[in-house]
Amino acid sequence: MHPCLLRTWMELREILKKVVLLGDGAVGKTSLIARYVVNKFDDKYIATIGTKVSRKDIQVVKPNLIINLRMMIWDILGQKEYSKIRSASLSGAQGVILVGDLSRPETVQSMNDFWLKEVERAVGKVPTVIVGNKMDLAAKNSMGSMLLDSMGQKFGYPTMICSAKTGENVEQIFTALGELLVADVVASTPKTKEKAPQTLAEVVDYIVQDFCAQYGDLEKAMLIIQHQFQDAGVDIRKPKKEAVLQALDGLAKAEELSLTKSVARVNLEERQRMVILSKG
Amino acid sequence: MMERDIKIETLIVMSLAIFAVLAVVAFVIPFEDTSTKLFFVGVVAALTAINVYGMFMVWHSSPTIVDEVFLMTPNGMLLKHYTRRLRPDQDEDILAGMLTAVQNFIKESFDSGGRLNEIRFENYDILISHGQNVVIAAIISTKKPERLRDELKSATADIEEQFGERISKWSGDKRELGDVDAIMKKFLSGKYRR
Repeated sequence: MHPCLLRTWMELREILKKVVLLGDGAVGKTSLIARYVVNKFDDKYIATIGTKVSRKDIQVVKPNLIINLRMMIWDILGQKEYSKIRSASLSGAQGVILVGDLSRPETVQSMNDFWLKEVERAVGKVPTVIVGNKMDLAAKNSMGSMLLDSMGQKFGYPTMICSAKTGENVEQIFTALGELLVADVVASTPKTKEKAPQTLAEVVDYIVQDFCAQYGDLEKAMLIIQHQFQDAGVDIRKPKKEAVLQALDGLAKAEELSLTKSVARVNLEERQRMVILSKG
Repeated sequence: MMERDIKIETLIVMSLAIFAVLAVVAFVIPFEDTSTKLFFVGVVAALTAINVYGMFMVWHSSPTIVDEVFLMTPNGMLLKHYTRRLRPDQDEDILAGMLTAVQNFIKESFDSGGRLNEIRFENYDILISHGQNVVIAAIISTKKPERLRDELKSATADIEEQFGERISKWSGDKRELGDVDAIMKKFLSGKYRR
């Protein structure tokens, strides 16, 4: 057997977490996430109903375990007066991104004096990342930066500085919080090596199962597979490599939307390799 | 129950057949006297009336069609989503969150401690049923949402009873949810109907 056909099977988990974005008004909370999350609603909803929900998918890889982490980001109005709406939105939060403006040290101080207390009161101690935004407007040793560092040390939360304007470090904020959110998740099955599918029909069967498992929604996943197989002319009883390879491109495009581009690319390459090496 | 077993298509075919017979009786058959003709026309008219009544009963008892169902936590986290239609541009997780955000906003604005049970938008009705640990929102585009309310309430109660505790401690891992599908499929297939 070709060595590539001995695949180490990784456990795959789908985990959903509620994350709340907090901080004073105009510190750049909404701008910070705007380009990095899936937005389906206009920002005006923050002003009208006090909240806007968007989502960020990341992948966390651990030994024998791939976690597809979906963070539902609740961007909440920064005005401190709206306490009732804020409490309702904070309810059930499993993670927090606390944002201050480095060019306005009072907003960083406010995280210490107000926002952290609000979070503790509503949901207790949850994974939190303290962020200093607008690093492009503040010097490295500015008052805001120093306050941020001392807060991190005091509460034991990671601190990061970033710029929503340039995009510097923004992606890392989600990665850092994501890793904290799934810090206690470990693989439930021991590392095993299984015999991989060998014939093209077995490979196709594996791909269908794998796509459905990663997509999450079985019904939708099957419809996508059916559509892509039909377009590529894949006969499920007697598949041809060329047709299957063509269908894989379509499946990868669907995964780009439902998972992430990098996951879709890894899946595509792995599936292409399995198809090419298969018998028949 | 009887009227639910008769399909509307059957009644339409029957109606057309009766109308055809009525037309033949009235205009084609050369009756010898008027009273015989009137007797047959009367019989056909009675059959037509019964048929129209049957069609009305079928319409009246027809099930409310559920387009989408969101099974959520009270905090707006989507546990499961069921739909009859593929909507590639819709993000059900975000929609579940925003639906909860809207409920929070209304609840806090009225400051009454009550809960939002229904949203109406053009042809759509969103019925919301609240449990202690679970919320079910059903989107329907047919009329008669009031019929669905009791079914939704029963499904919510069953999920609460069987999975409520588990959902209250849910970490976000979809594997830990358990087989909520069984109850939801029962709801979607109309088995909660009385």
